[in-house]
Amino acid sequence: MEILVCMKQVPDDSVEIRLGKDGQPDLSQAESQGNAFDTYALEMAVRYIEANGGAVTVLTVGTEDDKACLRNSLSVGAAKVVLVEGSGTDAAGTAALLAGGIKKLEAENGAAFDMVFCGRESTDYIGGEVGEILAETLKRPFVTDVVEVEPADAKVVVKKELESGYLKVESPIPSVFTIAKPNYDPRYPSVKSKIAARRAKIPTVAQSELALEDGALNAKVSHKAFLEPPKREAGVLVKEADAATAVAKALEILAADKVL
Amino acid sequence: MKALIFIETKEGAPIGASLELVTAAAALGADADLVKVGEKEGVLKEDAVVGAVAKKAAEGYDVVLLAATPLGKLTTARIAARLGAGSVNDAIAVACEDGKLKVTRPIYGGTIREELCVETAAAVISIRGGSYEAPASVPEIAELAPEAEEGLAARVLELLAEAGEAVNLEDAKVIVTGGRGMGSEENYKLCEELADVLGGVVGATRPVIENGWISRTHQVGQSGKIVAPDLYIACGVSGATQHVSGMSGSKYIIAINKDEEAPIFSVADLGIVGDVKQVLPILIEEFKKIKA
Repeated sequence: MEILVCMKQVPDDSVEIRLGKDGQPDLSQAESQGNAFDTYALEMAVRYIEANGGAVTVLTVGTEDDKACLRNSLSVGAAKVVLVEGSGTDAAGTAALLAGGIKKLEAENGAAFDMVFCGRESTDYIGGEVGEILAETLKRPFVTDVVEVEPADAKVVVKKELESGYLKVESPIPSVFTIAKPNYDPRYPSVKSKIAARRAKIPTVAQSELALEDGALNAKVSHKAFLEPPKREAGVLVKEADAATAVAKALEILAADKVL
Repeated sequence: MKALIFIETKEGAPIGASLELVTAAAALGADADLVKVGEKEGVLKEDAVVGAVAKKAAEGYDVVLLAATPLGKLTTARIAARLGAGSVNDAIAVACEDGKLKVTRPIYGGTIREELCVETAAAVISIRGGSYEAPASVPEIAELAPEAEEGLAARVLELLAEAGEAVNLEDAKVIVTGGRGMGSEENYKLCEELADVLGGVVGATRPVIENGWISRTHQVGQSGKIVAPDLYIACGVSGATQHVSGMSGSKYIIAINKDEEAPIFSVADLGIVGDVKQVLPILIEEFKKIKA
């Protein structure tokens, strides 16, 4: 199996991002890292090829700065990484660049990737659209929120997470899947694999090398402004020495606010 | 302007977030047609919806609206791709400006909002539940046949049920959520008791789900359900952004926490500083008296 994982580099999702004085998101306190769901996708892909054979390629769209997540990918099991230089102005643009990169790699390999994995959404803009548009562009079978993949003859059987419960789904290959959080965490690199990855040369593909359709990168959705969300006014705080008095006071306020 | 509204159903009935789209379409000054999509054995729901709605939308609609539920969010961009249209997921407001759609959506877990403009002739937008009021009356809903490409699509083999009952947090009028501060699975049951008294449903924060006190279907927050009930009671919830962004649309918020500095108090209409283990049993008894 040849698996391609799409990865986006995002600001650390454990840091709360707010608007800075310049009206832009202040990312100064958040280090860049691979999007959490994309790292789950990579781990799932690496586990799959460890069990069934094959190789994992990781593809990122971005600039020189985005090479860091590709280096990390090399240190945790990716056999090959590629940076497509450029940036989509919207989800459709990003998907077009990814599709262009995938088609170029497939032409070089002489075969389609058996599976393309994308994280279900990125933790920064949380659009959850790129994998969807990519699947439509490549016109391949598509299953979202996958937490397990198993081989089944010339197909694969995946476990798809639902709001409640799971679906067992059989999919032809080549196919595209978005990956949700499986019941394991991504592995850590070893010191040795980290050093090797640091020395590795990251292959890049220029936008001009991609066979994109005319207008594929025209903005379908454009950014207008960042806004501060309206603040909810804090209400009344009841603080009493004993719980019974506190509840009595609270009930008075609820009655006055006509809540009950 | 012509709008096509995809109505999602649960046990045959339209869900609240879908019906609110009627109000959103009216706010855009659009004439709206409502459609639901039938199911077909072995076909993924989303494949059926994408095929049917994209085909219908190609008849000449300017905007397609869906509720930003899991199903809505994973069909919006696919429908748009088939129409060559721009798409936005999880919008909280839509407006028409100079003939273009202006859409607002939360980013970075809700700490920042982004205003976007759809540049294509048609737009496909999913809108978060609670962003618009429910309409006074429900227009007629036409049913479309499921459309899925044979051969190309994935095939559903079986549904693997999960322990824990189905819960409809999105349409609940009252939600009682317990957080890590409940201390134990045993204490967490106090939240269920209070929810029962108020005729509501019980919610949970991510740590509670991770501790296994209740199934993940109850999770409220950015990575769970986005809710906007009339009354939201947060018990032992600190108020992490991840959680607050999923419930700050609630009409009235009560927070109970022993830490006076807990961020949850900054979004609560009524805060009670105290130990949930002491406050909740008394509150349950008092509410029982009021409801009796």
